[in-house]
Amino acid sequence: MSMVVAGEAPATEVTPRSGGRGKSYPRYVGGKVLGSLGSLAFMLVVNFFLFRVLPGDPARTLGRGRFTTPEQLAEFNRTHGLDQPLVEQFFTFLRNTFTGDLGVSIKYNVPVSELMLDRMWPTLLLVGTSTILSTVIGIWMGIHQAWKRDSFLDRSTTGTALTLYSMPEWWLGLVLIAVFSVGIGPIPGIFPTGGLDSGAVGQSAIEHGLDVAWHLVLPVFTLTLAYLAEYSLIMRASVLDELGEDYLTTARAKGLRDIQVRNNHAVRNAMLPATTVIALNLGFVVSGAITIETVFSIPGLGLLSTEALQTPDYWVLQGTFLFASGAVIFANLAANLLYGLLDPRVRS
Amino acid sequence: MTAPTETPVEAGRLSTRQLSWQRRRQALARGWAEFRRHRSGMVGLGIMVAFVLVALCAPLLASADGLSVTKATGGVLESPSGKFWLGTDESGRSVLTLLIWGSRISLLVGLLATVISMVIGTLIGLLSGYFTGWAGSILYRFTEWFLVIPFLPLAIILATVLGRSLFNIALVIGITTWPSTALLIRSQTLSIKERPYLERARVLGAGRAHQIGRHILPNVMPMVFANTTLTVAAAILSETTLSFLGLGDPTRVSWGTMLDSAYSVGAMTTGSWWFFLPPGLCVVAVVLAFTLIGRALEEVLDPRLRGR
Amino acid sequence: MLLASLAPALSLGTPTSPAAAADKVTFTVAMTNEVDSFNPFLGIEAESFEMWALMYDYMITYSMDDMSPEPGLATSWDTSEDGLTWTFHIRDGINWSDGEPLTAKDIAYTYNRILDGGPESATWGSYLKGVTSVTAPDDTTVVLKTAKPNAVLPLLPIPIVPEHIWKDVSEKDVKTYGNEPEGGQPVVGSGPFRLVEGKAGGDTYRFEANPDYWQGTPHIDEVVYRVYKSEDPAIAALKKGEVDFAEGISPIQVDALQGQPGITAINGNSPGFDEIAFNTGSVDVKTGKPIGDPNPAMLDPKFRYALGFALDRDKLIETVYQGAGEPGSTIIPPAYSHWRWEPPEDVAFSFDLDRAGELLDEAGYKLGSDGLRTQPDGSPLGTLRLAARSDSDMDASLNTMNYFKEWLAELGIQARVDTYESSKLTDVILEGTFDMFQWGWYVEPDPQSMLSYMTCDQRGNWSDSWYCNKEYDKLFDKQSITVDRDKRAEIVKKMQEMLYVDAPYLVTAYNTIGEAVRSDRFACLRPQPDPGGIWLFQYGAYNYINMRPASEASECAGDKSASQATEAGESGGVSTGVLVGGGIVLLALLGAGGVVMMRRRSTTDDRE
Repeated sequence: MSMVVAGEAPATEVTPRSGGRGKSYPRYVGGKVLGSLGSLAFMLVVNFFLFRVLPGDPARTLGRGRFTTPEQLAEFNRTHGLDQPLVEQFFTFLRNTFTGDLGVSIKYNVPVSELMLDRMWPTLLLVGTSTILSTVIGIWMGIHQAWKRDSFLDRSTTGTALTLYSMPEWWLGLVLIAVFSVGIGPIPGIFPTGGLDSGAVGQSAIEHGLDVAWHLVLPVFTLTLAYLAEYSLIMRASVLDELGEDYLTTARAKGLRDIQVRNNHAVRNAMLPATTVIALNLGFVVSGAITIETVFSIPGLGLLSTEALQTPDYWVLQGTFLFASGAVIFANLAANLLYGLLDPRVRS
Repeated sequence: MTAPTETPVEAGRLSTRQLSWQRRRQALARGWAEFRRHRSGMVGLGIMVAFVLVALCAPLLASADGLSVTKATGGVLESPSGKFWLGTDESGRSVLTLLIWGSRISLLVGLLATVISMVIGTLIGLLSGYFTGWAGSILYRFTEWFLVIPFLPLAIILATVLGRSLFNIALVIGITTWPSTALLIRSQTLSIKERPYLERARVLGAGRAHQIGRHILPNVMPMVFANTTLTVAAAILSETTLSFLGLGDPTRVSWGTMLDSAYSVGAMTTGSWWFFLPPGLCVVAVVLAFTLIGRALEEVLDPRLRGR
Repeated sequence: MLLASLAPALSLGTPTSPAAAADKVTFTVAMTNEVDSFNPFLGIEAESFEMWALMYDYMITYSMDDMSPEPGLATSWDTSEDGLTWTFHIRDGINWSDGEPLTAKDIAYTYNRILDGGPESATWGSYLKGVTSVTAPDDTTVVLKTAKPNAVLPLLPIPIVPEHIWKDVSEKDVKTYGNEPEGGQPVVGSGPFRLVEGKAGGDTYRFEANPDYWQGTPHIDEVVYRVYKSEDPAIAALKKGEVDFAEGISPIQVDALQGQPGITAINGNSPGFDEIAFNTGSVDVKTGKPIGDPNPAMLDPKFRYALGFALDRDKLIETVYQGAGEPGSTIIPPAYSHWRWEPPEDVAFSFDLDRAGELLDEAGYKLGSDGLRTQPDGSPLGTLRLAARSDSDMDASLNTMNYFKEWLAELGIQARVDTYESSKLTDVILEGTFDMFQWGWYVEPDPQSMLSYMTCDQRGNWSDSWYCNKEYDKLFDKQSITVDRDKRAEIVKKMQEMLYVDAPYLVTAYNTIGEAVRSDRFACLRPQPDPGGIWLFQYGAYNYINMRPASEASECAGDKSASQATEAGESGGVSTGVLVGGGIVLLALLGAGGVVMMRRRSTTDDRE
């Protein structure tokens, strides 16, 4: 769940419109890249220490109810490096992270990187589809809302968007499950309740693809609605901003038809802040899917990280958190570079 | 920014205070008049007031005994009836009672988290905007670092590390939402700093604390206020989500913990709609109310946003 | 628009329902936890044990009636006079799924891998405790030698792995060896089913029947496990027929499912209990000095025993456990009738606050002038800290303690309830900074492990009540070398009596596990223990081998304890018209949200 409040400016530093031309683009890029590296270093430190103070001894949490000797406990700690001093563990962590070794899952005894690769595609599929759908529909909606401001269409759709925006997306998911998977009254539950496929045998690749698509209908729909609300609100606000600019008044005065004004000027300029926000949000998609993956039992990265908290499976948590924050930093950088390229005014 | 507060300080100390007090009151009255014209903002305000009243009057509306599992009188997941208007939960407690008392916790956590977020965010935003040297840029970097931390994973981990209590939940939400406030306050501070009257104050020898406390802070306050209502909305949503993931305070009933129980006892599959619909609808209503108020306030304070 | 674009998936997406796969009988089980490893030397989750039971055989298995040892790969066994040498006679003519013969050598190999120490010994080492050597003098004989008589034998629930495969897995590699199917080849095993698809931590595991299984070909062709992240979607899937079996469901769900056509649901007795445990004296294990801060009254067996009468166990079962479960008494659950001690009338706890009060008075914990009880020396008793677990599915823990707090208040004892995550509570227990806590144990068919947790040696390790009683320890040592089952049971019962009166634990309830099956599709499932037990996640793979499609239910009609087929219930049918209707309703719902945005007066400055 991202915390970008509708109408709020993107996190990039946008100075007032008065600013003249800023630094050269390469310098701007250099600065932003350096900043991102700083963030990355900070994340690594946070990442390490946060997880080392998690309560609970994983050996004990995992082992309760089994006949385990103290020697076996010690053996467990030794194989996972838990008996080393913290500082040493930290340097091992840094070295391993840079070589792509994220450790071995305490629970599954599988390399974390392998586990994460397996769990990545359901998340990407879910979140990718929802993002594309919500971006396209959201931008389209935002433009039309802004253009027909205060019309019945605008008021009702903006109201709906605000309502959706105020809704915990997982609760929406639960309601949709209750209505469309379980069935209420005359509506029978037709959609699967969860999972990514039905696990049936002898499916061809196409059948399997359709099976997965069928399972993803409700979760994608839920997530699309959630993102849609946000994106349409942002797009609507950006277009409204542009509509207030003087040059549009001029364009109108010149007698251009509404549709031309919209397409040629307002929309093109309004796309800039909106795409930046969407790019920024892309970084949050991994974590954003946590609740939806939980509610719909989709074996993705988000679910992996909440499951890992039960053990706690240090290495899996560390890996997923690293991935999630890395994605945000990368998306942030991309958004900044994009913005700097398209709008020189921000390079101050 | 609203116009009246921008007028340069002219008269002597005592009268300045009186004058500015008067001005602020006028500005407030004007703001209120402006706000009242926002129908959606007023609807939001109405909903919010209604929920706050329910939360404050909870002991009058339903006995606190209704929260005790040991004193529960109903059956397991009974459907709504004359006795239990919204049915019962899995321990036989009235869902309506839980809902009424839950509003206290949900609102309280929302407010507490917002206060934490606002205090940190305003402080860091002010300082990083005011100080241009290395101190300011370090604070700015710091804010940026926190901004990229994915909210939910961090909140989950912190909630686990700190333990599960009301205050910890608020703290977690507070320390994960402050950076956006800080950035907003920072950009406000940057623009206010350049205004002529502050320069004059500097020339007259006003200290930093005086500049920040007497001139910048009062000017960013309206924006902080507008941002606050939006943060409350985000905080209530976050509380609900964290509680739903099983990280809420298990000894207290909030809308989030109700939804968690509803989910774990299978209210959806047993068709116990009265257990999972009302808490969710309350969350939507309250969050929507705060969002509408926040948007209306933003428009009042920043004419550029009008018509959004 | 979104719905419309996905509509084509409708017609093609549904043939996956089990009914459509007419050529194969697939039994689909919904689980709420993943397999942590298919490698029997690594996994520790119950789900993994279930998988191994399908993949492998055991030399000795458990009976359906009371989980006593029964012949598996071994047809019979004998013990030497001194009880130090065990000889097992192994079945002939069994093959691994790749055609290699399974012989006594494979058994000896598996056991020796465990005896060598290392990761293999972590899970299974305890069963071979005291075993000095395992040899296979010929293909049908396994000889075990022990240093001293071992009462737990012949119980050896260790999956036997093929030597010709595992000899290539070194001691170092075993820690990361997944034992998963590769290149479409099933994992080599000897059990009734073969793992053809699945990964640790994955969400689907598929098994194919072993047509040459030595106990006979299973009556179902495939077993598929699907992992749901919570119970609710699993139940919904069961109702719709997407799965045939749901495991670990709540009593509320069992209640709700009992009325459903085509579904049979039970609360099966599970061999486990929940207890309220006392801090009977936490000490530093090395120095023997007290650590932590238990209330002095916790150290007094008389005080603890008295509180046993302040627990309304029936009330707890009715409300906290939603009616599923049995009131608790001793640490050996009723399922293990051979080992269990029944407390006689005059000792047994009942909910009797007057009796509790009298016992407290006798022990010196008298009521003070303020209505609160005092320590025997007259100082205030103080507030007792009741620790409950706060994990999200642990409402029973918190609610039990809330009730207990109120009953204690009626006795004039103040208490407060503290909540902890399970993992955090483990630390609190080890630090000794608690008075009482609520938790539970799963009890294995042999009482050895459970009894060991109450010995002095286990303090700081698996003992959580810090109980230490030299007399008890002596009996423990004695029973672990008493090979005669009846004589051993005598001692085990004596030990339970000791624990009952000393009361480090007040056993509150014996658990049940909720299970539900599509009885319109499958029948002939036998509970373990029989009667009253559970259908799946048993010890052994009995039901997977013996269950049948509902159409063949008559085959087991003579067996009274086996589940029977019922009339067909609903199944996931789809119609496009319904889908469109649903879409309209949803859109209407969302549109209603728009009402919130009431008519706005247009703002003054029209900036266009």
